[in-house]
Amino acid sequence: MRAVAVLIEFELIERARSGDESAFNQVLQAYRKRILGTIARLIGKPEDVEDVGQEVFLRLYYSLDQLRTPEVFEPWLYRLTVNAAYDYLRRQRRRHESRMSDLSEQQVMMADASAGGKRSKEDDRHTRVREQVQSLLDKVSTEDRVLLMLKEVEGLSLKELEKIYKVNENALKVRLFRARQRVLKAYEAES
Amino acid sequence: MDRMDDKRGEDRLDALWAEYRQACPDPEPSANFIPQVWQRIESRRRATSSLRHWAEACVMAALTLTLLIAAFLIPRYQRQPVYQSTYADVLAEADTLDYTLVLTGGDTR
Repeated sequence: MRAVAVLIEFELIERARSGDESAFNQVLQAYRKRILGTIARLIGKPEDVEDVGQEVFLRLYYSLDQLRTPEVFEPWLYRLTVNAAYDYLRRQRRRHESRMSDLSEQQVMMADASAGGKRSKEDDRHTRVREQVQSLLDKVSTEDRVLLMLKEVEGLSLKELEKIYKVNENALKVRLFRARQRVLKAYEAES
Repeated sequence: MDRMDDKRGEDRLDALWAEYRQACPDPEPSANFIPQVWQRIESRRRATSSLRHWAEACVMAALTLTLLIAAFLIPRYQRQPVYQSTYADVLAEADTLDYTLVLTGGDTR
């Protein structure tokens, strides 16, 4: 998502909006990988990425007629993605609170893989980074987590974030600054 | 000194974000991803459509019941009118004597 390029023609979005299912299928094909990547980084649970991704496209299908113009399609799709990720993370947080002792499937898989000793050093480093970032993000609110991911990892500009969050640039800067400070504090406490 | 520490911390955090981005490339969607999206769309559509049918059936049943009640009650009310005569007739019948008195100027001999 670093290079935020429009993947499809506006005309295709227009057709999908008017109920053309083959056009919607093309939209789905064009955006699925990008959306799944964003979800994977937002939620940090590989086993649930496709489920959340399907929810995003389901919501897209049933709300596409509310899209004002095809020009705002991408921020709008991002908004749906962010909302679905929020819903998932809130559900997970509630579940986590009630079942603190359970290991996630990802953790179990990681433990199995490391026990097997099959992974390369590069994989190990990636796993360590993923775990570190996820544990860091678990220490801040869902709102901070999603905002920081979109800005720092997905590389969205303030202008793009403005369209997603529907708030002005100054308000966003303040929110970002505070979120960064909170993560920085957690990071320093951890290291 | 604090400012330098902050800067160093922020730089390390920026480096961590960049590493995280590299550690989490866009996953390859499974072959079932698109068919499963369509399955969900279809199942939502079926649920919505059955809900609509159910709502339509309820409206039809309510309408039919209203018509039946109306068909049963209206003829009964038509057969038994509430008022057999007008208000003036009832008054006139009840006060025939008074009426006669008034007409004769009170002389009943």
